[in-house]
Amino acid sequence: MQRGCTVSISPGDEILISDGLSAHGLSKRFGDLVALDGLDLTVGRGQLVGFLGPNGAGKTTTMRAILGLTALDGGTISWDGAPMSVENRRDIGYMPQDRGLYPRMRVGEHIAYIGRLAGLSREGAADKARHWAERVGLGDRENDLIQELSTGNQQRVQLAVALVHEPTLLVLDEPFAGLDPVAVAMLSTVMAERVAGGASVVFSSHQLDLVQDLADELTIVSDGKTRVTGSTSELRRRSPTRLLRIEWDGPEPSWAPENATRLDAPPGVSVFRVPASSDSARLIAEAAREGTFASISYEPPGLEDVFLEIVAS
Amino acid sequence: MNGPNLVFEVAYRELRTHARTTAFKAITAFLVAAAIVGPVVVALWPDEDGARQVSIGLADGADRSLEETIVALAQGGLDVEFVPLSGRSQADTEAALASGDIDVIVDAPDTLVWDSQVDAPLAAILGAALQQRALLVRGEAYDLSENDVRQLLTPVDIADRIVDMTESSDFILAIAALGLFAGFLIPQVFGQLTLVSVVEEKSTGVVEVLLGHIHPRTLLLGKVLGLTLLAIGQILVFLAGLGAAMFATDSIDVSGSVWSFVPVLAVSLIGGLVFFNTLFALLGSLISRQEDASQVILPVVAPLMVGFIVGQLAIGGRADTTIIRVLTFVPPITPMLLPIRVARDAVAPWEVAAALSLLVLASWAMIRAAARVYEFTLLHSGSRVSWKKAWGFVRARPGSE
Repeated sequence: MQRGCTVSISPGDEILISDGLSAHGLSKRFGDLVALDGLDLTVGRGQLVGFLGPNGAGKTTTMRAILGLTALDGGTISWDGAPMSVENRRDIGYMPQDRGLYPRMRVGEHIAYIGRLAGLSREGAADKARHWAERVGLGDRENDLIQELSTGNQQRVQLAVALVHEPTLLVLDEPFAGLDPVAVAMLSTVMAERVAGGASVVFSSHQLDLVQDLADELTIVSDGKTRVTGSTSELRRRSPTRLLRIEWDGPEPSWAPENATRLDAPPGVSVFRVPASSDSARLIAEAAREGTFASISYEPPGLEDVFLEIVAS
Repeated sequence: MNGPNLVFEVAYRELRTHARTTAFKAITAFLVAAAIVGPVVVALWPDEDGARQVSIGLADGADRSLEETIVALAQGGLDVEFVPLSGRSQADTEAALASGDIDVIVDAPDTLVWDSQVDAPLAAILGAALQQRALLVRGEAYDLSENDVRQLLTPVDIADRIVDMTESSDFILAIAALGLFAGFLIPQVFGQLTLVSVVEEKSTGVVEVLLGHIHPRTLLLGKVLGLTLLAIGQILVFLAGLGAAMFATDSIDVSGSVWSFVPVLAVSLIGGLVFFNTLFALLGSLISRQEDASQVILPVVAPLMVGFIVGQLAIGGRADTTIIRVLTFVPPITPMLLPIRVARDAVAPWEVAAALSLLVLASWAMIRAAARVYEFTLLHSGSRVSWKKAWGFVRARPGSE
């Protein structure tokens, strides 16, 4: 989906300039604390990027820097190949981690108010507010005060606030935190629709199963640095380990492959972490010699394991 | 939308959101009720001076024809009752004096008997009546009729011309006193409303969403404008109620000098509101929790207290002292002192112009300083930002943190 080209900035220093968002070499210190240490992030047009990292990795600081809320010590942020302008930033739809709504405003007028600040006309903002209130399932609560809503419904309003001006770039910090399954499904659908419409979406989350299902590409960061970038399947493939899972049809043997680590598994099932360089055919043959099995699989680890491997490294 | 439109959008939200709170509606309703009820109650209250009743005892020697003269002279001032004392003993009449049943005894042609002290207004009326009676008697000796004597005694109309205007009209002084109270109270009430609004935006995190779309300066200006307009609206509603009640009860006498005084009061109040609303917005940006508000508010309330105390001295007639003259030029205090000095006519035109100019300049400087601090502190959470650090932000280049 990503369109782009590689250009030479200076000898030995190449960056990818693409349609959409490009953050390169971001650095930021808060006193002695290094929050960002040359972090890179790219989100192409019509691309949904999962932005992952442990707590304190620099995700929120990066998102705030994209919004212009945090002044950077170094690095560049560009949109469609040009430095991010004030007008570009006003067009961003943002959902902060801590959320942020006026408790004593009504649902409809709050959504419309942010639409006005984002540049919509009074009538346009009112129309879009109605549309998005309906879309996030709060059409019948437009006149309710925000403080009268449940936490989950307040998050729906927060999403509508981020979407009211139908931005070309959506920055969502932990958008799924605290949502019920219905709201998660709604949010996932909305994000997919925006991406299908050509918007760029970057979101952070600790719910890796959701990230795995939704994101076209992942950027995993820790200690203010970008560790890896790629699709879920690419990152899994790049893992230095594989998982060998055997469901025995009979007594479970005490056998373990060479250089393997036995993982917790239910009775009658053996799960081993083995080096990616292992010969899968040989492992299956060895297992067949040790006992009979109902099924056997050899595959890259899941995203959660990949994430832990990368962060630990 | 451009910058000014965004400021108005923010201001409109502030105005609308705060104006519909129950607390604001209740306070406004109370103020309007007080404005209407106050003049009505004063108008309906019995006029004690006009209604004072006195009992005048007439001894045997007193001329009964005095009654008519006394009543004529006391008209509008005293409600006179005459008590004939013929046949009563001296002890009895003195006991009536002591008990207060009788205020004074007219004894013989030219003697007034009092209990323990002379009642000056009553003595003046009785004295004038006795003098008149005596002159009528003397006039007869010169063949002058009673009518001739009365014509000679008809008082000449005396016009008043006041040279020392420091004793201004009660009405203007009352408005100035109201202005002092307003200049003391309103900046605090609406300033704290501004502070609470800023802290709410920080604590709920909504400021992060807002700053994604608008500049901190725009947010500050919109907030100050909205809450200043809200305050002006409340003041106007109060004054409308007060004016209507005063006109209805015929207890207002708007002279030409009022219209030269009102603009000074209005500019002072609006300038004070802008100055303090901006200052309180700055203070709100230094803290993250409502509980910390008192730490930053206390140092600001001190000059307001000074202004209020000094303002009371000015109302009391010391509007021309050096200390009051100097303090009039201190912007946070100007809104309280300047209207009083104008009401007392104790200020030169250049002083009015200079004080108001300084107030406008100070408000402008406060907006500039607060906008700088705002840029650095709006996203700050946790402990209070120190005064030293805040001053550093005022001097820092925007976006340099």
